[in-house]
Amino acid sequence: MDHRVVEQFKDAVGPEAVLSEPVQLVTYECDALPHLRSVPELVLLPRSAADVQAIVRICNKEGVPFVARGHGTGLSGGALPVPGGVVISLAKLNRVLDVDIPNRRVTVEPGVTNLEITRQVAPFGYYYAPDPSSQQVCSIGGNVAENSGGAHCLKYGFTVHHILAVEAVLTNGDLVEIGSTLADAPGPDVLGLLVGSEGTLAIVTKAVVRILRKPESVQTLLAAFDSISEAGSAVSEIIAAGIVPAAVEMMDAVAIEAAEAAVHPNFPPADTVLIVELDGPSAEVAELFAIVEAICQRSGATRVEVAKDEGQRGRIWKGRKAAFAAMGRISPNYYVQDGVVPRTKLPEVLGRIRALGEREGLRIGNVFHAGDGNLHPLICYDERIEGQSELAERVAGEILIYCVEAGGSITGEHGVGADKKEFMPKMFSQDSLDVMQSVRDALDPKRLCNPGKVLPTPRLCGEVPGPYREHPVERAGLAERF
Amino acid sequence: MSVSQTLRQATGEDAIDGVIPRHAALPESPEELAQILADASRDRQLIVLRGGGSKLGWGRIPSRVDLVIGTEKLNRLLAHRHGDMTVTAQAGLPLAELNRRLAEHRQYLPIESAFEPATIGGIVATNDSGPTRHRFGTPRDLLIGVTLAMTDGRLVKAGGTVVKNVAGYDLGKLVSGSHGTLAAIVDATFKLLPIPLASTTLVATYADGNALAHDVAVISGSQVELSAFDIRVSNEGRGILLMRMASSPAATAAQAAEARRLLTSTPAAVTGDEERSLWEEQIRAPWADGGTVVRLSWLPSKLPAVAALISRIDQSACQVSTFTGRAIGSGLLRLEGADSAIAAAVGVLRQSDDVGHVVVLRATPGLKSQVDVWGSASGALDVARMLKHKFDPADVLNAGRGPI
Repeated sequence: MDHRVVEQFKDAVGPEAVLSEPVQLVTYECDALPHLRSVPELVLLPRSAADVQAIVRICNKEGVPFVARGHGTGLSGGALPVPGGVVISLAKLNRVLDVDIPNRRVTVEPGVTNLEITRQVAPFGYYYAPDPSSQQVCSIGGNVAENSGGAHCLKYGFTVHHILAVEAVLTNGDLVEIGSTLADAPGPDVLGLLVGSEGTLAIVTKAVVRILRKPESVQTLLAAFDSISEAGSAVSEIIAAGIVPAAVEMMDAVAIEAAEAAVHPNFPPADTVLIVELDGPSAEVAELFAIVEAICQRSGATRVEVAKDEGQRGRIWKGRKAAFAAMGRISPNYYVQDGVVPRTKLPEVLGRIRALGEREGLRIGNVFHAGDGNLHPLICYDERIEGQSELAERVAGEILIYCVEAGGSITGEHGVGADKKEFMPKMFSQDSLDVMQSVRDALDPKRLCNPGKVLPTPRLCGEVPGPYREHPVERAGLAERF
Repeated sequence: MSVSQTLRQATGEDAIDGVIPRHAALPESPEELAQILADASRDRQLIVLRGGGSKLGWGRIPSRVDLVIGTEKLNRLLAHRHGDMTVTAQAGLPLAELNRRLAEHRQYLPIESAFEPATIGGIVATNDSGPTRHRFGTPRDLLIGVTLAMTDGRLVKAGGTVVKNVAGYDLGKLVSGSHGTLAAIVDATFKLLPIPLASTTLVATYADGNALAHDVAVISGSQVELSAFDIRVSNEGRGILLMRMASSPAATAAQAAEARRLLTSTPAAVTGDEERSLWEEQIRAPWADGGTVVRLSWLPSKLPAVAALISRIDQSACQVSTFTGRAIGSGLLRLEGADSAIAAAVGVLRQSDDVGHVVVLRATPGLKSQVDVWGSASGALDVARMLKHKFDPADVLNAGRGPI
């Protein structure tokens, strides 16, 4: 990067907030999707919205592409640096600015973690509802960018349902307030557009979130089934009974094996386990939970275990939430997908995925949000075997096609990012994609704000496509993957 | 079919704030709608989009209207995927008709309108909602996919038909509340809810506004889960709280018992047809008879101050004939009096720190010439204008009337 531009950044935010040493930069070369990597020219560490404005103004003037980054837990390469560009890390904007219990609102900077909000309000009996599996470490700014979900969004919705307002830096450096702490701000729902725009339209520097009263009662059960179709019919019956569970999760044998190896949740041996959680007023939960239990038994559950206390409930969720990371115990490498199918198409699509895995000789684990049809196929492969990385990527793509063919989506909560943009034309017509591009052009006319994400473009020069390959720094023993 | 054949001369029935459009069109297909839009936009004709026409008076007075495009012939229910609890309906389908049909599978779209003819397209374009927003949010929270006709004639989609989906920009959210200023809504897909097995509404009456505000805070902070939580001021000036619990029968009874325990006032319980009429009346009350209707919002903790503010307005030259709303922050005022007195009252509301987003929804042209119906500027509106420039470069959609 031109020395003159680097100096401008140093003048604007202070030299200590500008990282340029290769060893420092390499930390930012990818998010939690490590097979896409690109080392940024600089990493900038603003401490305030004014810093972010100053950085964006320089980028805008000098034509430098920029990528905002939270805590780097994204699973679609949304924070993948752009060659020749800078990464703007929001990690140091990490203050909780206001906790307003009477009005059930919390104001935070984007670097605050998802779980920190709940920690702040738990003493008052409240919580922040969206709960992505990475909630201990993921940032609220990243959640806003990706419209993050979690296991409980079947009943409680996604990030977009829990953000009331944001302060954001536009690509020209202007600071704007979007949304309102009050209801019914007139005009188009720009906040709803911004949430989930994957850092391509603006950089959020503050968010006002809604908190909810903790439910009076939570009941969780785990049911073991001999087949996915039995488990699937139990889910359909629960929904048909007019019950909206807080969460309905499924894990198949591969995912159960991995979870057992990693965190020992002591799940019963089964082809499929179903986790159903109900929450709400005690009387409602007690009444409906009995119905759910009966449905599981009737649908052929070989075992139904009801969590008797918070410890047992925690164990069930630990097994579920650790499933991704646990895949490392049973496979050297894995690839996570995030396709969605209509709930009624689950058995059909899962059957196709199973057949695909058998045909291609790859194990595919499935851990997913069954209530809303959001699949997380975990494709196991070994990069040391010639061609298997490419095979895994192709299989992952094939699964997305199955999801779209079933009337679903290529991504339920991880975002399109750099990872799935080439699949966007499978879901949307060229006209639809062009109109989405015009949205982007309206807010980012110079195409500097997280370019190369969400919408399909030719591969960027210097961006290495394909599955993860060991980085030279790793090979030299200077860093390791975690 | 050429577009000119589908246009007819508009009549007095098509008038908007007394302005009669030159032409009216009732397209019979999405393609025809898109073509009409493209032709009119190219010719820089000023266009107003109309669903059931029930909220057509919302907005500024138009300087002129060249073409009103009605969606009444785009009124099909395209798919009710009851196993997946989603529905796709064309913009012109009335909400009431949709909910009648969803009820065949014991499901519903939890949005209420004060107006029988209100259509899906109009509901999304205005993001108008009723008491169940307390539990399920406004239309934007239930909308999962949309088809739009753009001013250049393209038909585009965003979102999809599954409840969980983050692929691409959420243009459905963007057009929510856009009042027909960005694109025409062709169809919309929503997630649905099961119709509750049982329902009870507790009605508590208060002579003292502070006691009412106290109970609102207590119930809001409790673990009682209401599907609707409304307030209204009776004709005698007494405050009323309406609390609906809807769940399984035993749970509904237990919730009602818990709410009774918490309230300082002894409520009456209403169920069945009486409960239904109670809520219909609550939803329709602000729109009954004549008068100006003003929407306003507040932070939950400001409720006592809001009550004081409204009573001050009632003692001014204009009279508050109805005040209803959602207890935790959104309401409708019906005001009666001379235009100048109402304009002054709107000014008082807008200057107050206790309420915000004061929008004049129904007003005479005389009043509209004295106040801006939409009120203050905001960063979001500035961004929305940047988007409008791309979506409607000729600036013909709801020109001069809408919020942008």
